[in-house]
Amino acid sequence: MATKDKLIVVRNLVKEFNGGTVKALDHCNLDIARGEVVAIIGPSGSGKSTFLRSLNLLESPTEGEICFEGVNLADKKVDIDLHRRRMGMVFQHFNLFPHKTVLENITMAPIHLGLATKQEAEKKADELLSRIGLLEKRDEYPNRLSGGQKQRIAIVRALAMEPDVMLFDEPTSALDPEMVGEVLDMIRDLAKSGMTMVIVTHEMGFAREVASRVIFMADGQIREDAPPKELFENPKDDRLKDFLSKVL
Amino acid sequence: MSTTSFFNFSFLPKYGTMFVQGIEYTLLLSVFAVLLAILPAMLLAILRLSKNKVVRFLSGLYIDVFRATPLLVQISLIYFGLFNFIKLPSVYLFGFINIAMFVPGVVALSLNSAAYVAEIFRAGILAVDIGQTEAARSLGLSSAAAMTKVVLPQAVKNVLPALANEIITMVKESSICSTLGMMELMWAAKTVAATTYITLGPYVVAALIYFCINYPASKIIEAIERRMRRGDQR
Repeated sequence: MATKDKLIVVRNLVKEFNGGTVKALDHCNLDIARGEVVAIIGPSGSGKSTFLRSLNLLESPTEGEICFEGVNLADKKVDIDLHRRRMGMVFQHFNLFPHKTVLENITMAPIHLGLATKQEAEKKADELLSRIGLLEKRDEYPNRLSGGQKQRIAIVRALAMEPDVMLFDEPTSALDPEMVGEVLDMIRDLAKSGMTMVIVTHEMGFAREVASRVIFMADGQIREDAPPKELFENPKDDRLKDFLSKVL
Repeated sequence: MSTTSFFNFSFLPKYGTMFVQGIEYTLLLSVFAVLLAILPAMLLAILRLSKNKVVRFLSGLYIDVFRATPLLVQISLIYFGLFNFIKLPSVYLFGFINIAMFVPGVVALSLNSAAYVAEIFRAGILAVDIGQTEAARSLGLSSAAAMTKVVLPQAVKNVLPALANEIITMVKESSICSTLGMMELMWAAKTVAATTYITLGPYVVAALIYFCINYPASKIIEAIERRMRRGDQR
């Protein structure tokens, strides 16, 4: 298998819930190369989030392979914790740690895992925070922040681990409309910096603008996989045509 | 005044100190019992939520046994059984608390309390959003680290009021220790009643004391709980 330049290789990924009665993912295959920005779109219940969450094994696959940097994460012998460090994840509901300050949210994992000293981790956190203009919030608790600020800090928390790929699970779906922009701007900047990203999103305009590839999912299957211009302007799959007619 | 009057408190000048010592004994028993119960309870709760069936079963068994049998029976078994083998010296704390009796009392109450506190912790852990664990795990933390660094601190905060309430429960339940001769509040009342033949007054005093400890305490806990909830919007 030519997996050298491929960061993530998914083969025949199947995820069943409730002992096989619900098939959330149905033999999905996908290759993601370094530097690619892949947007995953599709109707709700199509398996987009399950697919994304399978990539770092928050959902453990029923069948199939997920190779990340050449290692099959679905293999039970693999220490998943080591590989998760290299995969940043951003959640719909931010999931900041409410009992920790902004700074502690960002530095906790690098310090605990011995990847940085306290000073190093804090210096880095301060740099990242000032880059997004939230340095003055470093000692606040998350409940004092707006949704947009929370999500940007959640992104910083993931970036502080210096991941090789960032996974976004509907990062703007829980935000008030006026805050969507600041989060999308940050993701856009990240894309420009060359970060490999997989983004599950309902923001079609954003997917079209930022993604180098767009994946359309329906019924747990990857139905179409194309550059954004082609996928949006010349959809081939009927489900995709139907979906686009409803959302565009 | 009649010895059966509710309001015959003529024993107080002479026996007042027994009640004061009783209060101290009761409070020490209850606070120590619950504090000692916290760590085992936390462990029981985590084991109860484990993926391993055997571990889950054993933890559940402990909790069920202690919750489904009377405290008096447990205390008797521990006092006459377990501490028949473990001999403690008769050392007196503050001049009236005999270690040889106090320790078995605390151990028994705390083994019992652990079962209840474990259920409190379990509810507290389950109340922490699963997204917290997922966020911690996605950063590369092990499940143990996610539990101790992220979930437990939040769970403990959630259950602090319930823990304080457990101490209140223990203040009342520890009265059972009087049957074994531990000189706590209920024992003081019983002894005074037996010595002075004043049958009701001492118990009225004991009831008033229990009330004056527990009622304000529970009100304070309620107030703290209300304030905590207000500060909890994420």
